[in-house]
Amino acid sequence: MKIVEKYRIIVLLAGVLFFGACAQEEPLTESQLDYTVPEKTALDNWIEANYLDPYNINAQYKWNQNTVDNTRFLFPPMVDKVQPALDVVKQIWLDSYSAVGGSDFVKIIAPREIVLVGGVNSNSNGTRTLGIADSGQRITLFEVDYLNTKNRANVTEFIHTIQHEYVHILNQNKSFDKQTWQKISPGDYTGTWHLENLTVSRNLGFVTNYARNNITEDFAETASIILTSSKAEYEALLASITDPNGKAKLKQKEAIVVQYYKDAFNIDFYALRDAAEINTNKVINN
Amino acid sequence: MKLKNIFRYLMMAMLMVNLSACNSDTDAEQKFDVTPTERLNAQKKELNDLLLSSEQGWKAVYFTDDTQLGGFTHLFKFLPGKKVEMASDFDADTEKHTSDYDVVLGSTVSVLFNTFNRIHLLSDSGNSPTTALRGKGYLGDFQFLYYGQENGDIIFKSNRLVREVRFVKATAQDWVDLEQNLVMEQNVIGGDTRPLFRFLETNDGTTAKKYDFSFSSVTRFSNSEAIDNSGEVISMGVGYTPTGIVVSPAVEVKGQKLTNFIYNDADGSFTATGTSGVTASIKYSNAPLVLTDDYKLLLPGSGNNVYAYIYNTTKPEPANSALFLSLLANAEAAAGTGLLIQRIQPWFNNADGSGYIEYRFAAVANPAVTIARRYHYFTVSADAVNKTVTLIPGVWKSTATAASPAIATPSFLKALDDQFMNPQGLYFAEISGLGYKAYTFTSTTTPFRMVAYSFQ
Repeated sequence: MKIVEKYRIIVLLAGVLFFGACAQEEPLTESQLDYTVPEKTALDNWIEANYLDPYNINAQYKWNQNTVDNTRFLFPPMVDKVQPALDVVKQIWLDSYSAVGGSDFVKIIAPREIVLVGGVNSNSNGTRTLGIADSGQRITLFEVDYLNTKNRANVTEFIHTIQHEYVHILNQNKSFDKQTWQKISPGDYTGTWHLENLTVSRNLGFVTNYARNNITEDFAETASIILTSSKAEYEALLASITDPNGKAKLKQKEAIVVQYYKDAFNIDFYALRDAAEINTNKVINN
Repeated sequence: MKLKNIFRYLMMAMLMVNLSACNSDTDAEQKFDVTPTERLNAQKKELNDLLLSSEQGWKAVYFTDDTQLGGFTHLFKFLPGKKVEMASDFDADTEKHTSDYDVVLGSTVSVLFNTFNRIHLLSDSGNSPTTALRGKGYLGDFQFLYYGQENGDIIFKSNRLVREVRFVKATAQDWVDLEQNLVMEQNVIGGDTRPLFRFLETNDGTTAKKYDFSFSSVTRFSNSEAIDNSGEVISMGVGYTPTGIVVSPAVEVKGQKLTNFIYNDADGSFTATGTSGVTASIKYSNAPLVLTDDYKLLLPGSGNNVYAYIYNTTKPEPANSALFLSLLANAEAAAGTGLLIQRIQPWFNNADGSGYIEYRFAAVANPAVTIARRYHYFTVSADAVNKTVTLIPGVWKSTATAASPAIATPSFLKALDDQFMNPQGLYFAEISGLGYKAYTFTSTTTPFRMVAYSFQ
């Protein structure tokens, strides 16, 4: 046996010894973690039946500091306000997208979690944040306690929030044509949008003051305002714009939105708007 | 080195590693008997058991930030199934409400009130007591980190501002008495019938020190500035109790920390008592804390000085007391329908040596035009020790000339006029910050104070 051969065997033996040496199995004991399922309330069952099972979306109404901005002074919603709010969201948002985009549409591209907050989220500049979309995964809705399902303006503002945030989530999945959009109103975006005048903003080709924050918000505002308006309401909005340049710019943006929905998701944007309007009427009149 | 030797040393090294590998001494020294998970679970159980252990629940006076806000009393009764009944003195609703709680892991084991109840009212960014706190509500938390127990109390710290919150075992009486806190709030604010001046007095057993007391009911916070011009300020958050107030931070007198003030309805005072004669009291006073020599402006020899209440100038000033405003309203109503008192104008040291209060009347419909006048003549005497003046009443006239005849006392003016003619006298002192030169006439015995524009 060559010396190398000899050592090879020795090394092999030593290796077996080495790796096998400390093998000591400790029997597994019961888990330390608490696996008990908390008792479910009627509300929990409703959420499970209407959100979790069909859409794989969790609706969180109990407080968890990890899903909210801890520097803000917020609080959980009143329990009896949760189901009406979620019902509105389901009927106007989920049902409309399902009807037009196909029943699987929101199951695939949807936030996995909706977090509900009772009160307003005030900013130090005097504005209120109505909703937040995080990384395409979570939508936080504020002011759940103040939702009056019989008040159209109130429902529209609430739904506008989720429509707006969902547009962000769609954008986070598939981006829109930012380069073209950027060229429409390049000089008119401003960080102090809340100090602007709505008539002035509309004449510059923005659907709201907030749209002037940046192009992402502009896209989300343009899409969500059209979705939360009826055809006639949106036409009235366009008619109120006196500057022909501004009107042309807004129409250009609208065309990009419509194209985006068609190209990215094969959705007829106007059909979606009509479905949302029908569902909104249903909510308010029931 | 030969290949053979390399192998040899390598084998020796491996053998050494191999033989010493399973030495159990390599384990890190165990500081605890059980694993971190087990310890956290044990602590969670300890806290939950503790919360459930008090038959009548727990009471906490929650000072969210005692540098600018007061205390809000909360009662909690924890129930099996992670339910909690809660009541608070945040507003008029002191009833019990039920919600959920949980014991969760935050930065340490903590109790979390995870569905809406009374404690969340302190954390509403849409409802702040001052503009400085805009967007921050009352700086409240509803998750409290467990820091252990002390004499049967549970010590928590608030999750974000890390302020100590002490849960004390509640009694059945605490639940019954909670609404009394709001009655006490009115005593802290102070009634219209109490004297106008209020001070915080500390006494270390030998000497007393006075501080000008002020209290804001929206923030439940008090600032009291020393009257000795030292600039020293005692600031404290105030929480209401059925018998008085509890303050944070404590008022420190001679090293003793005083927190519990007991209310005395006889004189409206609040007193905290320590040992060896140490006390701190919030008291009413008929006398201003600082007396001035301004009263000398009214005395003979100081010139023809004239001051006036003016309906469209001085009336909105907050220094006008409720008693003054109500007497004024009564006099206007009694004078006749559609009339108002346009001016109440005391004149001192007129050319003929006289002094009088001139009451001018106008129609509400046309308040700028005087339609009638009444004059009440007086002479002045002064008290140099108490620094007061007394107006000694003389005749009433409807024209201010020597020749014009005296008239009967106008009954509609009497109650108001009596305050000026108070035989115990008046304080007269300049008031600043109104945007024009002004003085106040303040009764020495009643909560009557009128702001007067100075024509000089």
